[in-house]
Amino acid sequence: MNLTVEIAGLRLRNPLLAASGTIGYGLETAGTLDFSLLGGLVLKGLYLEPREGNPPPRIVETPAGLLNAIGLQGVGARHFARELGPRLAEMDTRILANVCGDTVAEYAEVARVLTDVPSIAALELNISCPNVKQGGMAFGADPRMIAEIVAAVRKVTRLPVIPKLTPNVTDITVCARAACDAGADALSCINTILGLAVDVETRRPKLSYGTGGLSGPAIRPVAVRMVWQVARAVPIPVIGIGGIASASDALEFLIAGARAVQVGTANFVDLGVYARILADLTAYLERHGLDDINQIVGTLDYPGLPRSKS
Amino acid sequence: VPSDREAPLIAREAVSGSYFLLTFRHPEVARQARAGQFVMMKAGHSPEPPLRRPFSIMDVAPERETFTLFVKAVGSGTRELADLPIGHGALCLGPLGTAFSPPPAEVEPLLIAGGYGIAPLLLWSRDLKRAGLTPRLFYGGRSRADLVLESAVEELGLPHEFSTDDGSYGQAGKVTEAVARYLAASSWPAALYGCGPHAMLRAVASLAERHGRRAQVSLDPWMGCGLGICLSCVVRVQRRGEERGKYRCACTEGPVFDAADVVWSDEAASRSHREEAGA
Repeated sequence: MNLTVEIAGLRLRNPLLAASGTIGYGLETAGTLDFSLLGGLVLKGLYLEPREGNPPPRIVETPAGLLNAIGLQGVGARHFARELGPRLAEMDTRILANVCGDTVAEYAEVARVLTDVPSIAALELNISCPNVKQGGMAFGADPRMIAEIVAAVRKVTRLPVIPKLTPNVTDITVCARAACDAGADALSCINTILGLAVDVETRRPKLSYGTGGLSGPAIRPVAVRMVWQVARAVPIPVIGIGGIASASDALEFLIAGARAVQVGTANFVDLGVYARILADLTAYLERHGLDDINQIVGTLDYPGLPRSKS
Repeated sequence: VPSDREAPLIAREAVSGSYFLLTFRHPEVARQARAGQFVMMKAGHSPEPPLRRPFSIMDVAPERETFTLFVKAVGSGTRELADLPIGHGALCLGPLGTAFSPPPAEVEPLLIAGGYGIAPLLLWSRDLKRAGLTPRLFYGGRSRADLVLESAVEELGLPHEFSTDDGSYGQAGKVTEAVARYLAASSWPAALYGCGPHAMLRAVASLAERHGRRAQVSLDPWMGCGLGICLSCVVRVQRRGEERGKYRCACTEGPVFDAADVVWSDEAASRSHREEAGA
């Protein structure tokens, strides 16, 4: 049974990655999570310098979902490269960094710093965080800014460049094409959906930042739809993200066209999620007479359309 | 290193109203947990509620590989846990967080519990007693109905004082007022340990400051993961030598903090939010 997938020249032992912001810097769960079960993990987003993040409360539960406004608290790329990067070298999985910036120049500089960390195998570009005043989603909703950031990062790194797209746009395929044309090697779809939860007693937002990003099973159908659209619109691989907690969830994304998937919010609930998904994925492939996970990618039989890939 | 595994429910005891004592089997938690540490629990894989819930560990039985939680069934997460059939497994991550640290020699430990906050202090009082110390337990609530584990406190065989805001049982007034009276009358140096509502912990902190004593408090902000990866449960903490407080995760750098390090004004805003929402 082959579960190996390839994203922009990067071989992953299976299509399961841990999503940025839900697995820290990898070290927090060392000893608790068996990393050999993961195709890879995407580190918490890094700016050049440390960030304090937003004041609490930073999360609130919503129906089958989680609304967060952490605000990209982090140690900064320079500190990471010096102190944490070397400690990730022995981790038994692929490490992808998540690159943030307030400016195009900062994205490029963070990318340059992280490219020099030997344990980093690829760069995901966070052009989609809804919880910061500058950069993030504000960049990712503008195709010209996407192109500028991708091109600037492309120039300073030999690593695969994977922009993470925001769903908070009218047509995500416009952003996908802009990223692809500017030299992206793959695309992560999707970041959180902008939301607002209101405390009716105080008539204030439940999150201290105000709005937040919605994740978890609640957003899965939106994410699957966008992955399907993007996979049809661009020739580069798509990594599906959005409320994945089971093999069947992961399969929805793969069938819709994703080459790999990221597990996010589910990491907060059960680190046994990877073992469970892998066992059930294998059983599914056997049941369907398949011996390679790649055979399932993009096989959605959508009414009125030819199959996108097979 | 915490362990993430299914922990079967071994025993359930309905204490009163919506309060339960739930005993689970989980060898690592039973063997390694120290007083003040906690576990993250969820009854099953259903997406409702989305997250696990944190619970202080109230008791451990390493020889039986079990630990016991004091659970108030208030929302869907806690209700599902309390309703779990005996023998069924819950998702359980632990042991997590920092523990209470013992007082220096010749210092009397004063354990101050507000209502539901009694849980970790029961384990702590048993540990201290086993170490040959005689902790004094202050257990307060709004009324007698809040002193759910009154008999467990009496069974410890340690000095204790009950208090209720409405005077329905024990001393009338806030539990911290009872502690203040004790501190004023005692000639022994004391170390304070607190777990309970935010206002109470803040009062413990100022009491300790006034008397020049050290206080350790167990904080309880909204938690997501328990492992320091979601960065939700941050508390502003300013340690000695730091110019300005830093956000620190209550799940990994707490939940037990030195009360003098907590920036209480900052903590208040997020805390009131949580108490309004109800856990």
